[in-house]
Amino acid sequence: MLALDAAAYASPWRRRHPAEKALLALGLLGCALLLPPWPGAALVGVTAAVALLGPAALPPRLLARAARTPLLFILTGSVPMLVAVSGPTSVRWAPDGVATAGATAGRAAAALLCLLLFAATTPLADVLPRLHRIGVPTAVTEVAALIYRMLFLLLDSVHAVRQAQAARLGYRTWASTYRSLAGQAGAVFLRAFSLARRLEEGLALRGYTGSLAVRTEVRRPSAAFLATTVLLLAALVLATRMLVVTG
Amino acid sequence: MHIAEGYLPPVQAAAWFAVSTPFVIHGTRNLVHQVRGNPDAKLLLGASGAFTFVLSALKIPSVTGSCSHPTGVGLGAILFRAPVMSVLGTIVLLFQALLLAHGGLSTLGANVFSMAIVGPWVAYGVFVLVRRLGGGLGVSVFCAAALADLATYCVTSAQLALAFPDPDSGFVGALAKFGSIFALTQIPLAISEGLLTVLVVRLLTRVSPQELRRLGLLRRPATTGGVAA
Repeated sequence: MLALDAAAYASPWRRRHPAEKALLALGLLGCALLLPPWPGAALVGVTAAVALLGPAALPPRLLARAARTPLLFILTGSVPMLVAVSGPTSVRWAPDGVATAGATAGRAAAALLCLLLFAATTPLADVLPRLHRIGVPTAVTEVAALIYRMLFLLLDSVHAVRQAQAARLGYRTWASTYRSLAGQAGAVFLRAFSLARRLEEGLALRGYTGSLAVRTEVRRPSAAFLATTVLLLAALVLATRMLVVTG
Repeated sequence: MHIAEGYLPPVQAAAWFAVSTPFVIHGTRNLVHQVRGNPDAKLLLGASGAFTFVLSALKIPSVTGSCSHPTGVGLGAILFRAPVMSVLGTIVLLFQALLLAHGGLSTLGANVFSMAIVGPWVAYGVFVLVRRLGGGLGVSVFCAAALADLATYCVTSAQLALAFPDPDSGFVGALAKFGSIFALTQIPLAISEGLLTVLVVRLLTRVSPQELRRLGLLRRPATTGGVAA
């Protein structure tokens, strides 16, 4: 299982309605994008981190592991903003480079924490069956649900094939590495089509008519949680405005 | 190569959603039509999407707010066609954002445009063109996969250059900055992905020709009208 999905299943917020978590995480994401990076994105980032480590009880080590690679991308991606080029040989430090890079990195880091707040508390299996309520065609949500179910089996196959190849010195040279990678992709392709064929046969035997509807637990969003979220978002916007005005 | 969550200014993020939407709607109509005509196609599409996710899950860290890895869009477009890939690619990018924190929700429109629209269409167009010009399967697959990879990274460079123009030379300078940094990693990566895709297709033609015929990549063998004695 993927670490974020496993964390979502283990989260104390697992039983909360996805709409509650979507309002909180996407509301914070909207604030991170639309408010000034300083102090808006900083406040949003701290709020998302507190929610993740506090009520959502995400282990700090897992948060660090999940955020490590995207943060590395964000930081290294800010480097080109530090320089200005006016010709093939004319490169200088950009006058506002540090401010632009800092603002972009800050905004992106805060937005990343908001994304993690949703991803680490809401299993995709809870989200996909509800997507048709916001206008996504049923055929697309069902294909997405099938992808979700199959990809874990395929990832297991990739790991198993890789281990077997490594045990047989399949990654010793460049040529053998390419052959092994092609073998992995080929094995996954065959496994994917074999899964599809077996599903097809199994469903046909059960009178498949084209619908893959699954039962979703009937839950009502908590009015208290939604109201608290709206108040929190309003407070963040007000606090940012006040800090901007007072300089 | 995914643009990280929150990396693009909000107006540009929204603009990329607007640009990508017609292509995704076209692909969705195509998919719904396929599924209505043949309900079993849903299972094959699910398998294809899961295969694309696994292919693109291998990644190498890079500079400029993104990452490099085999995109898998070339092989996906050759096997499953570009319009379907726009929907499957969008689903896969959404999954990558929510399962791996790779890419993001606000940057989904921009990532869909580069990885689920431009990449697959370039791959499919190049594949058909090279085949019509008489190229063999291996040459067509190599050109399609390598050029789709390069096209994806060129579009991402342009998206980043539009978002962060150079203070002295504007968009052109920023495109040169992002493009030159990407070129160091992406040109070798595109060649690698091209070679790897050729090896995968060769392997599949040997071990699974019936599935490739089912997808229309290989022609069905001519039937002989022999009469049993």
